[in-house]
Amino acid sequence: MTESESQEQFVRQLTEHQNRLYGYVYSLLGDHSRAADVVQEINLVLWRKVDEFHPDKPFLPWAFAIARFQVLACLRDQKRDRLLLDAELVEVMSGEVEQQAEQFDVLRSGLRQCLQLLASDHRDLIEQHYYHAKPLSDIADAVDRTVGSIKVAMLRIRRQLADCVQKRLAAEK
Amino acid sequence: MNDRQEELERLLFDWESGWLDDQGIERLREILKSDADARSRFVTMQMIGAAMQLESDAGLSTTSVDHHATQSSPNSATASSRRFKHLKLTIAASLLVCMFGGWLVYSSVTGGADQPEQIAGTNNDTRDASQEPTAQGVALVTQLVGVTWEDTGGNVEVGDALPPGRFAIQAGHAQLEFFCGATVVVEGPAELDLVSVTHARVKHGRLRAHVPPAARGFSVEVEGLKVVDLGTEFGLSVSDSGANVQVFDGEVELHPHASEPRLLKSGQGVTRTATGVYQDAEVAPENFVDIASLESRAQLQDTAHYRRWKEWSTDLRHDPRLITYYTFDESTDWERRLTCSTMPPNSELDGAIVGAREVSGRWLGKRALEFKQPADRVRVQIPGEYQSLTLAAWVKIDSLDRWYNSLFLTDGYDRGEPHWQILDDGRLYFSVRPVEQGESGPRDFKALSPSFWKPSLNGKWIHLAVTCDVETNTIIHYLNGNVLSRHAVPAAQMPKTTRIGTASIGNWALPTLPDSRFAIRNLNGSMDELALFAASLTADEIKEMYRRGKP
Repeated sequence: MTESESQEQFVRQLTEHQNRLYGYVYSLLGDHSRAADVVQEINLVLWRKVDEFHPDKPFLPWAFAIARFQVLACLRDQKRDRLLLDAELVEVMSGEVEQQAEQFDVLRSGLRQCLQLLASDHRDLIEQHYYHAKPLSDIADAVDRTVGSIKVAMLRIRRQLADCVQKRLAAEK
Repeated sequence: MNDRQEELERLLFDWESGWLDDQGIERLREILKSDADARSRFVTMQMIGAAMQLESDAGLSTTSVDHHATQSSPNSATASSRRFKHLKLTIAASLLVCMFGGWLVYSSVTGGADQPEQIAGTNNDTRDASQEPTAQGVALVTQLVGVTWEDTGGNVEVGDALPPGRFAIQAGHAQLEFFCGATVVVEGPAELDLVSVTHARVKHGRLRAHVPPAARGFSVEVEGLKVVDLGTEFGLSVSDSGANVQVFDGEVELHPHASEPRLLKSGQGVTRTATGVYQDAEVAPENFVDIASLESRAQLQDTAHYRRWKEWSTDLRHDPRLITYYTFDESTDWERRLTCSTMPPNSELDGAIVGAREVSGRWLGKRALEFKQPADRVRVQIPGEYQSLTLAAWVKIDSLDRWYNSLFLTDGYDRGEPHWQILDDGRLYFSVRPVEQGESGPRDFKALSPSFWKPSLNGKWIHLAVTCDVETNTIIHYLNGNVLSRHAVPAAQMPKTTRIGTASIGNWALPTLPDSRFAIRNLNGSMDELALFAASLTADEIKEMYRRGKP
């Protein structure tokens, strides 16, 4: 395989696994904009190490190893900000996160189906909050309910969704 | 077990909403550390969060109009896959730039083979050890409430790292976090000498120290006496009549210079008179401001500043020189519409938000838009012909990782159309084209300021402004109310009239040239105010804008 063919393979793999990397990083950081930055950094490191890339070897374990390292580096550099997990937990959880990140596409399609199964007003609540980034207070104002009651509803719907997604993932295995 | 899972889900939700306090974070970690099922559930919840975000990004960048309809359409599987495809394109585009930019970074890092995992971040100099602002600091300023400084200066801002040496305030409260982990609330008037990350001398003033176990051994010295903390909370006040130490929780060790150390326990206090006599003293924690009440005072101050800006901003809306004014503060902004706040109202000038997410602005409760993804932007359409111009914005820059970091740019670049952006090296760049496109004539004048960027500005709200005066042929760049650079433009290179038409905030429309190297130009950061004037504002007016809007 020529060098340019190998590079093309690399780009294809990197593009194909962007979402998995995002899922991996976000799971450990719990912050979307920070996760987006870290994924960009991972891309840079991977690209710099393109020489280590062999089309025959699996791409994901390699990428996840670098992702874990960059997440830890981010925790180290962001001491001033409040962080969800600490380094110890990142180490403990990285195996579980890898496993689920590998299944990320299955999870996404499962999630879409599960969203369809929700009652329409519940789905609307989720869409308002997650797709339109509408704060709970605004949602509560619009429907004339308290933030507390919206929160309770939201927690219930999230649980329902997670249960549904988990069931679908289990069936897939 | 089930209760614990419920608790975890509640904690996670609070975290996402920005409500979770340190105690909550601790609790969440505790649950995760002790329970494998909880970890698995947590990861699934997070994966769902990531998936929702990707759906949302994709949905919003497909089109700025009618995306609500797309979402609730019965055939939403196809709608989703279309969004999904679009996302891939966005990622591919960002990847290209990423790779291209990657080479650039590494070729300038002389080989780079000797730093296996360290990457230079996104801005070349953010990791330059010699410039790292915290490199020689001993403590971080994390809160300033009602602080007045000495006339001789010495002003610092929240987020600044303090080097060893003198720290003094005339009035108000400052919260310092020593790098060892001890937090100290200082009440003015006070004068301290910061010696190291674990040690400070107090000349006079009142302070309350909170020393978690990790920071045990933190010590404070006053005339004739050293106070060593054994993991606790204590108060110390020093005046001409002597020093007073009170232990609120835990214990401290007193080391009088002339006699044996003495242990002081929770609820005990000691006064050392100016003549060196020790007496037992009452404990009165209410006389020392603690971290929590400083936090609530800081919030009040925050609210007061927000209100101060709001009053000023409400007046500004009537300024007849305004072309358009976005306060990012109208309640309709979440409808993916950035309301134009000029009076009388003109909804024609409202911007359409594409991709950019709503985040918190300069103050609690103030809205801002965050530009992150390459497609994020606000589209505007501003008719009319103008002469002189002023553009002013409050922005928070996460990093200058694009070659061109857009502030405000017209779609095309034709006669009289302004482009306002920041280069990756931190120079402000303003230009207006003097002749019609395709017409031969003088080139445009590029007003480039000296570089204003330094790593310590990262994540801080800053005020940027530029005035372009077509009468005097002058362009002036401003940073935080001060003139950054003044440029005399040759008359032939300055158009007599200016115009805007279709334009983008925080990005530039994709160039039509096949060479798309410059395509990714979005600002990597947030904006929470933007004003355009059909006049060249004076330096005093810009200064006033900064003063009234300062967080």
